[in-house]
Amino acid sequence: MGMISDSRGYVADTWKAWNRFWFAPSDPATLCLIRLLAGSLLFYTHLVWSWDLQAFLGPDGWLPVEYLRDLHARPAADGPQWSVWSLFFWIEKPWMLWCVHVFALLVFFFLMLGLFSRTTAVLGFLLAVTYAHRISPGAYFGLDKINCMLALYLMLGPCGARYSLDRIRRLNRGDNRPVLPSASANLTIRLIQLHLCIIYLFSGLAKHMGENWQAGTAVWWAVANLEYQSIDMTWLAGWPTLVALATHATVFWEIFYCCLIWNRFARPLVLWMAVAVHGGIALFMGMITFGLAMLYANLAFLKPATVRRWVDPLADRVALMLVRAK
Amino acid sequence: MSKKWHENTADGAQGSALQSPPRRQSPPPASELAWHPLWRFLVSLLVAGHLLAVFVAPWDLATGPALPPGYMPTTDSLGRPQRPAPKQWQEPLVTRSLRNFFNHYLNLLYLNHGYEFFAPDPVGTHEIDYHVTRSDGQIVEGTFPDLSTQWPRLYYHRHMMLAEQSEMINNQLVMMAEQTGVRKPFSGQVFAEHLATLHGGRARLKLKIHMLLSPDSVLAGTRLDDPSTYRLLGTVDGSPRPDRSGSSPVGQSGEAPITIPGAGQ
Repeated sequence: MGMISDSRGYVADTWKAWNRFWFAPSDPATLCLIRLLAGSLLFYTHLVWSWDLQAFLGPDGWLPVEYLRDLHARPAADGPQWSVWSLFFWIEKPWMLWCVHVFALLVFFFLMLGLFSRTTAVLGFLLAVTYAHRISPGAYFGLDKINCMLALYLMLGPCGARYSLDRIRRLNRGDNRPVLPSASANLTIRLIQLHLCIIYLFSGLAKHMGENWQAGTAVWWAVANLEYQSIDMTWLAGWPTLVALATHATVFWEIFYCCLIWNRFARPLVLWMAVAVHGGIALFMGMITFGLAMLYANLAFLKPATVRRWVDPLADRVALMLVRAK
Repeated sequence: MSKKWHENTADGAQGSALQSPPRRQSPPPASELAWHPLWRFLVSLLVAGHLLAVFVAPWDLATGPALPPGYMPTTDSLGRPQRPAPKQWQEPLVTRSLRNFFNHYLNLLYLNHGYEFFAPDPVGTHEIDYHVTRSDGQIVEGTFPDLSTQWPRLYYHRHMMLAEQSEMINNQLVMMAEQTGVRKPFSGQVFAEHLATLHGGRARLKLKIHMLLSPDSVLAGTRLDDPSTYRLLGTVDGSPRPDRSGSSPVGQSGEAPITIPGAGQ
């Protein structure tokens, strides 16, 4: 009898904890900051396609659509996979391609500003996937994965509740109701957090399989890659111990990120390590966009109160300029 | 109850976006959760399924078939080890089944991939030199990636990925050819055709790999771009693609179309 009641108590406590973790309403400030930053990254990432839109996304570019669709087909299955989808698989005329592209840029720009944010978040995700599938394989890399991940989750919560033109418009209409804590904001942030844990876990495990990561030399081979290099770090050749420490620290940090990030004492250290790793990738290896994308995703672990303490003073100044006095 | 809690927080008290944030925010009791329990239960199921799918994609990609412990390959009459028969490989059943189950969901959301950033080991980068002889005799040459001509950095990086993923695409094509018997052109040839079409001529591509230097070599004064660090992997020729009507190749900037033997017949 005691065992049954204990089990029942365990299930009830677990359900309570589960509910608190996923559905406790929280201030959407963190989500809104991620929208602002991820929106700017989505806009810039897709703006760069304008340099050679036809070659990368046109039907007969570097990798023609038909060729790509054959690559998407799984050998065991018949024909292409229907679920690998992209608007660009059906667009043939250059003017149509440009129309879609300009529309996409507007959507990402509006998402960044938080204008019609619930609609632009959905459209932004669909458009981000449309670009990503067209260039995979071929020209995609980690940036596209993180962009699509962030765009996916921005759809689910009130990402325009703060730091947005939507908020300014509401205030200008005389709607002074406060921004209420939201269960969907918490749910969205939790999804980003857990997705990030999965990313780091498998990234760390994959590195752990590599001989150079095990030997502690991988960071050297990364900085010795001229094509990636944006700042010359080959002075590290004379500092093998530093290289080894950086290599081992990266692997352990990635593998244990999914555990340590939940501990309130370890979390600041884990996040500062993220700044070091992704900041290093951005500064020294020329992948500024990818480094920023990972850092923006890590913001999901900032408390809304912290975000508000940092961002609200600036947001207030902007609001003072844009909100009409009544 | 829920309303009361909202009012008691700094958020609830806030009249506009201009007010200062709260100093401390304690989590609400479970009894004050906003959603109906049934709704929370259904969303919980969706969340669990989604996270399982997100987990399964990189998990499956990180696994591979294995041979039984102590497996000794049979040898041919010359003593050379024979390739193991497919049935001798042990496939990771759980990860394969789960990823197959979630396959379309993962594809639709662009989640069907791993996260092997610089893994398992950092390697040298691929480069492609091209040389196009236009129909008017002019020569167009270039390299991708090329930091001096491809700007901004992200645009350069996209070209780097083209060269880098060329080998990945080719490996996939070889696997497909083994299973289906249908062989598609390798990626280098498709790139050559693109450049030939773009410039209106015949293209020749040199596929190279830029090997990495050890710390000792760098300390000895060898430059990262020393000619000895580049290794030629192969050369590919390409002609312009027929246009979509199949009648003539596509020229650019008003160039006269180029005749391709057999095209348009």
